[in-house]
Amino acid sequence: MKLSIISEIFKNLFKRPMTVLFPMEKVEISERERAKHKFDIDNCISCGSCAKICLNKAIKMVEVKEEYKEKYPKTYPQIDLGKCCFCALCQDICPTGCLTLTEDFYLATFDKESIIIDPLKI
Amino acid sequence: MTEIEERQGDFEMYFGPAHPGSGNFSVRVQLRGERVMKAVVDPGYLHRGFEKLMEYREPMQNSVLSDRICVLEPLQWNLLHAEAVDTLMGYDIPERAKYIRVILAELSRIQSHFIWYAVMSMGTGFTTGFNVAMGYRDYMLDVFDYITGGRLYPAGYICPGGVRKDLPEKAEKKILTLFEKIDYMHKFAKKENPVWLERFKEVGVLTKEEAIKLGATGPILRASGVASDVRRDDPYEIYDELEFEIPVFDEGDAYSRYLIAMQEIEESKKIVKQAIDRMPKGEVKTSNMKPIVHFRKAKGETYTRNELSRGEGAIYMIATGKKTPYRVKIRGPSFTHMIPILKHLLTDSYYADVPAIYWSLNQCPADVDR
Ligand code: SF4
Ligand code: SF4
Repeated sequence: MKLSIISEIFKNLFKRPMTVLFPMEKVEISERERAKHKFDIDNCISCGSCAKICLNKAIKMVEVKEEYKEKYPKTYPQIDLGKCCFCALCQDICPTGCLTLTEDFYLATFDKESIIIDPLKI
Repeated sequence: MTEIEERQGDFEMYFGPAHPGSGNFSVRVQLRGERVMKAVVDPGYLHRGFEKLMEYREPMQNSVLSDRICVLEPLQWNLLHAEAVDTLMGYDIPERAKYIRVILAELSRIQSHFIWYAVMSMGTGFTTGFNVAMGYRDYMLDVFDYITGGRLYPAGYICPGGVRKDLPEKAEKKILTLFEKIDYMHKFAKKENPVWLERFKEVGVLTKEEAIKLGATGPILRASGVASDVRRDDPYEIYDELEFEIPVFDEGDAYSRYLIAMQEIEESKKIVKQAIDRMPKGEVKTSNMKPIVHFRKAKGETYTRNELSRGEGAIYMIATGKKTPYRVKIRGPSFTHMIPILKHLLTDSYYADVPAIYWSLNQCPADVDR
């Protein structure tokens, strides 16, 4: 029993720790990671399916700013990341594939307003 | 104190909900010296009202919600919810999807048993055990992330009609490498640790008769000598095609519950390896479902039960031809373990044994409160 403890201690002395020194080191992020959205407004057909399927009502269909209205006259999804649970249902249901979830999960912020993202900025 | 005649030296103590080793659950124990005279369990700190929430959401949305019923085994709850909807909709699940479902459910069982070991260690002051188990569990979370896109929450990866996406490339290889990696944890936990034996042997004994009477299920029932397992008794998915043992112990004490967990990890590994070997190619989603469930077509009711890692979990669902279910009732396995059984086991025990008994029941306050 005692001997096995000593061998364990030696093994662990030379083992790499399980944790990494963030932010210098990072763990590998999966390609399927569901994080911040990406939106291609030119392909959006304004069907509103994403807003309908969202179980947290994080998506609201809004009009874009006055100066862009001519180019984008319909309503487009605005996403409140504070409400989003990153389930990717909106991505699955989007018929044109213009709304997708990316791997960018660095979303911590001090500014509450900045997490409500305008269609043109997603 | 009402029922017990009060004496000098009697006092009341709270175990939880702010105790580092209690989770979101509380037990009020009435003590006479070191002895527990009476235990009053006090749940409700994690009530989120899933049953009601599900009445206002469509099945696809509910499958995302079902993750949260038990934080420690979301994939198992995903599967259970998906099966309930599948039955109501009469979906024919593709063979490959069934295999993927079982692989993920069993991986989820292994990581949940790791947490069990971790909290049992934590509860009795063996922090090394906690760190090792949680560390190795993290490797499992990496694989979940690789497959489902979320470390903890798969967000309804196992959805009505199959699974949301096929396994990514090299997933099988990743799982097998993972098993080699986590092997150390198993060796570590199996070592006869004298402190462990002292704290858990002959503590919190639940006899076979008591276990049946108080409604124990799963590992707790099997540790009391009853060979009962939904995967065997009422097979779902592909469990009837797989070979695996059901560990049973007669002692009914906390130590045998721990042994059950350790053996079940091995059995789950066996299941996953078999499933990976036999998994066919093909579709992973039923063809008549794209991309959401047309729940208006469903009518009737279903009671679907599964063997979760903590015991028997079930969902009762009624469909009345509306977009959303009329009623959803969730049976969490921890409920019977935490209310009548915990109360029974704590009565007349020593206060120092409270954490050992409490955690040996593999409870999850989240599924008690729902
Ligand atoms: S990821 Fe889910 S919660 Fe977030 S916006 Fe899309 S549907 Fe809504
Ligand atoms: S993002 Fe996709 S689902 Fe949402 S409105 Fe545009 S096209 Fe429709």
